[in-house]
Order: sequence, then structure tokens, then C-alpha cells
Amino acid sequence: MKPNRGWTPYLFVLPAFTVFAISILLPLLGTFGLSFTRWDGSGALKFKGVANYIRAFHDSVYIASYWHVLIYVVATMVLEVVAGLLLAGAVSARPRTTFYRVAFFIPVMLPLVVIAVLWSFVLNPDFGLLNAGLDAIGLDSWKRVWLGDPNTALLAISVISGWIFAGFYMAIFYAGFARIPKDIIESARLDGAGEWMIFRRMKVPLVRGITEVAVLLCVTGGIQVFDLVFVLTNGGPYNTTEVPTTYLVKTVFRDQEVGYGSALAVILTVVIALIGLLYSRLRRKSSDVEF
Amino acid sequence: MRMSRLASVVAALSASALLLAGCSGSSGGGGETSASPSDQILRIAMTEPGADAIPVWNQVKTTYEAAHPGWTVQYNFQNDDIYSTVGLPSLLSGGNAPDIFFEWSGNRLQTRHADGYAASIGDQLKAKGVTDLYIDGAFGGTSVDGKTVMLPLGKDVSNVIWYNKDIFDKQGLTPPTTWAELDAINSKLKAAGITPYAMGNKDLWPAGNWNGHVLSRIVGEQAYADALNMTSPLDSPEWVAAMDKMKEIHDGGWINDSVNSVSDNEGYTLFFTGKAAMTPIGSWLVDVRKDQAPTFNMDWFNLPAIDGGKGNQQSVLGVSSGLVVNAKSAKIDQAVDFFATLASSDIQAAFVKAGSSSLTKAGAATGLNPLSQRLLNLIETAPEIVSPPDTGYNLKVADALNTATSAVLGGAMSSQDALTQAQQKIDALK
Repeated sequence: MKPNRGWTPYLFVLPAFTVFAISILLPLLGTFGLSFTRWDGSGALKFKGVANYIRAFHDSVYIASYWHVLIYVVATMVLEVVAGLLLAGAVSARPRTTFYRVAFFIPVMLPLVVIAVLWSFVLNPDFGLLNAGLDAIGLDSWKRVWLGDPNTALLAISVISGWIFAGFYMAIFYAGFARIPKDIIESARLDGAGEWMIFRRMKVPLVRGITEVAVLLCVTGGIQVFDLVFVLTNGGPYNTTEVPTTYLVKTVFRDQEVGYGSALAVILTVVIALIGLLYSRLRRKSSDVEF
Repeated sequence: MRMSRLASVVAALSASALLLAGCSGSSGGGGETSASPSDQILRIAMTEPGADAIPVWNQVKTTYEAAHPGWTVQYNFQNDDIYSTVGLPSLLSGGNAPDIFFEWSGNRLQTRHADGYAASIGDQLKAKGVTDLYIDGAFGGTSVDGKTVMLPLGKDVSNVIWYNKDIFDKQGLTPPTTWAELDAINSKLKAAGITPYAMGNKDLWPAGNWNGHVLSRIVGEQAYADALNMTSPLDSPEWVAAMDKMKEIHDGGWINDSVNSVSDNEGYTLFFTGKAAMTPIGSWLVDVRKDQAPTFNMDWFNLPAIDGGKGNQQSVLGVSSGLVVNAKSAKIDQAVDFFATLASSDIQAAFVKAGSSSLTKAGAATGLNPLSQRLLNLIETAPEIVSPPDTGYNLKVADALNTATSAVLGGAMSSQDALTQAQQKIDALK
């Protein structure tokens, strides 16, 4: 007689589903529900319908925060993904790479808040290393209030992000380059190809799939940036580095508008989901070279 | 087969729901506490009182517990910034909500009262003789709708202008009595290569407080309150002219270039290391100096009178703070008893010896640090007390005004543009 295993698979899935429900599903549903209310976190909930969503689309600071995060994503695409790709190419062309791989990857391992605090000291306009260094080499005209000047604050945050995550993407691309059969590279070298040509004409095309994933990670991660901006500028000066996450944290925790902040969070979630869907539609299928 | 699969799914979901219900614990919705006989814990939530004051708070705990056998006092001290944002609301809406909590007067206290968290305790305090232990005027700012809902702990002056006495003496300067005299001091300092003001306005409230006081002096206290209560615009010509005082400070190069990119603590460091002659900040600088620069020679003067200003030119920017009994607690009587212990002469004298201020007669008799005593005298004798934007009013409105102040002080916007933008943000809230 065949045993009845109808319940068994579901029981095996139950613990994982429980964790998923507690940590993701319930908070998601709770936030969605709160987005239709006005609540200060401790008093009574008041149902407001879609008023929070209408307000969000008229909130100039919130709308501008998407523009700021777009600039940040484009900048970090260059400073993280492109830089990571170039670093991986340079490192993979060398015979002994361990030291370089570890050195470039160390910033990735440090907590973001710690890095942000360290860099806030470096960029401090009064005591910081950068302005002091510029002074020492006679370039005091280049000194700036890096995190207090609307023209440089977002760029400074992007550069710091690049400093941190270029090593992460370098590691990803390096792993991709390591999968390329060595005989292909050797035969190109025998045919007289230089390292730059090998990198540009062979290695980069052969890791296109990895590049597409890296771009998706950079875009979705960039839109959710919080720690760096919060510690370095907290959206300032004058909201010029405000990004959606810092604005919604301020709305919920400083202004105690939990309902409105929940609506902002739902909109952000929808934006990220749409980007993911758009990415999967745009990505060309199965045109990767198999090797 | 299909029914069996459906039944399996329903069973799995039901099991998850049961598991989740078991994990959720008490609902605690709205911060209700249960008054079961076994729950003899008086929970008190407040901001960190400082290392010197903690032993005195422990003395209050020990004294109360000795007088109330079986009862335990449990403190929950939190960092100021955390407490004032997410900390207190989380505690109030969670399980085991505090029976007593620290709060600031003004909009915050009114919000707690509107949400049903502030018990009326005036009659009980009178009956226990607690009210009589306090100096005249101590209970100002502790009432909502005519009912006393807060036991006052202190009155903080939120902004005066602290100055480096050594720099002032060396430059032959004395504290000004008018804004014009202050302008002259700023020019003289600048000519001598000294930055007049240092401030860390990254979080917007330091300059927001300073300019809030300046604005109220110029447009008048009622116009200031009306604009922050959203009943009149703050981008009127009068307000623009008032905001130009901050523009003067930027245009004169009278404040550190980094004003909007460094924190308040970094601002204090600039002042204590002699990088500037003055810093406009609140009474807590006395405690900061104790930790960071105990031998630093400083003094303060209130905002000088502004010629042509419609407000009271002797006003003080300040805020009361104190302890509130959670109206949803079943231990209101025990909480008021705790207040009676707290307000006793020995305890208040101990607080003053530990460097804290006291609004009781016993505390006044003990005597504070001279700088702090003069500040307490300033606020107690003030003909008008003006609330800072972020304590007395809606936080989004305060943020809009404080952002405008930072933009003008940083030279990023004209007064008109900054206030117009602020008003647009405020209009979106209505």
C-alpha cells in the first residue's frame, strides 16, 4: 500500500514559510494597511482612504528624492560597476592577485555606518583630511564644504559608495573572468592581442550575463540607499541629497506620520518592483556564449 | 486528490496563523497596561539624565520602594534623539507601556493629551502638598485644556548667545544690548580674523531655534505662533525682512562655512577650540563644557533687542519639560506618590548638588552652577517665553521653516525664495 504523503511537503515548508510570513509578508501587509490611515504611532488610527497617496504625488521633496536617487544610481553605475569591471580586468591580468583582491574587497566587509562616520571625518571642512591635504599641497582653492554644498554633497556620497562597492563588483567580475577557458585567452595572446584588447573584445563580452545582474543589483541597491546618506548628510543640505528612504524614515520616526510614511514605502516598493519587471523584459534571453 | 491538496494548504496556513498568534504575545494595543495585583512595577521612561544625576534617580527609587513595600521602580533611560522620535511612541504603543514618561511642553504634550496618554494630576498633586513644594511659575506650560498634566522637572533656555570671554576681553568687547551693537561686534571680530559664530546645523534645529527667536522678536510672538500654527503665511514681506537677519550673517561671513554640514557637537568643538567667538545654543552647553572643556572661559547673553521689532524684546526662547502620568495606566495613584517622593527637599537638593536644575523651593535654596542659575533666573523672570519651532509646533511646519533658515544661512537661497518654498510645503499639509 502506497503511503499518503500529502501533508509532508507542506509541513517541511512550514518553518520557512513562517519566517517569511513574520519577517516579510506580515510587515508588507501591515504597511499597506497603514498607508490608508493617519497614525502617529501611539494614538488612534484614522482611516484616510487614498489621501496619503495623493499627498505623496504633490510632495515636492518626495518627488525630488527620486531625481536625487536617479543621479546617485547613474553615478554609482560608473563608480561601482564600471570601476569594478576595470579593476577585475586589471587584477585578472596579473599573475598573483590575492593581495589586490583582498585589498579591494575590505571596504565591502566594513559596516556602512562605520564607513560613513569615518568619511564624515575625512570630508569635515574644518578638521578633515581632504581639505587639510589640499591645503598642504597648495590647492586650498579646491577646498569645499563637501557635504554642505549642494553642488558636491551628492557626488561625495556617490564617490564614497564607489570606494566601498567597487571591490564587491570586482569580485563578481573576477569570478566571471576566472571561468573563461585559459586557452582562448592564450590563443588571443599568441595572435598578438594586447591585454586591453583581450579585456575589451573577449572578457567583457563573455561576462555579459554577469554584467546584467551587476547592473540590476546596482540599480535596486542604489534606489534603497539609506545608511550613507543618513549618516553623511541626512538628506541635507536643504533636502538636496534627500532620497526616498531617508525621507520616509524622517516622516515616520521624526514627524511621527506613520500612515503617510507607509504610503511612501508602498510607492517605493512598487517602483522597485516595476524596475525589476522592466529589467526582465529588456534583458535579451539566452544570448550568452556558452563555454 | 485535489481536495486533499487544498486541505493540506489550508492546514499549513492555519498552523502558521496559530504559530504567529502564539509568537505575538500580548497585543498591548494603544499602550494599555494591566492592573493585576501581581504587577507592582512602576515603569518610568525618560531621556538619559546624565551620569551625575543617575545616582540621585536611584536614590528616588530606593526611597519610594522603602515607603511602598512590594513595589519596584523600573527606569528606562534612552538617548535623547531616539526617545524624542521613535522611542517614546514605541514604548507607549507596546506591551508594558510606561506608567510615567518624560515629555516636553508645547505641541508634544498636547499630542500626548489628545492621544489619551496624559492623565490630569493637578488635584492629586495639590492634595499631597506637592504643588506647594514648587516655586511660583514652575507649573507654567504643564497644563492642557486648563488641567495640569505634567510635573515640571526643568525649564530649559533653548537659545542664548554664548561667548568666549577670553576673545571678548582681548578684543575689548562687552555683551551687546541691541542687534546693532551685535552687528558691530561681528564686524570687529571679522576684521580681526576671528569668525564671530560657530554652529553645527546639520540637523536644522540649532539655527532653527536661534532664528525662531529672532523671527518672533521681529514679527511679534502672536504672528510667529500664527504662522507656525498654519493660520497665517510665513512668506509675507514682514517675514522676509525678518529672515534677512540670517542673510546678513551669511553675507558678512560671520558664521562658519560648514554650518549646515556639521553636527551640533562639532559646532560645540569649534567653539571650545577657539575657532569662533560665539555660539548661539541652549543652556545645555554648561553640561557639554563640563565633559569637553571644563576650563573653557565662557559666558552668555540673551538675544539683544532688535530695533523696530514687534515682539517683546526681553523674551526668552525656552521649553518646559517634566514627567507625565500615562492616563492608560492603572497605577496613577502610585505615580503621584512617586512624584511626591521626587519633589521632596532632600531629593531636590541632591539633584542640584549633582548639577541638575530644580524648580522646587528646596532646589532653589541649594544653588546651582552660577551660569545655570542665571539661566534659570532668566527664564523664570522672562516677561515672555517663546517656544522653539520643533518643540512647540507641528514638526513638519517646523522642518519647513528650519530648512528655510538653513538655506538662507548657508547662502543657498534668498529669504523670499526660502520662505516661499517653506510656505509651499506647509500648504501641502493643510
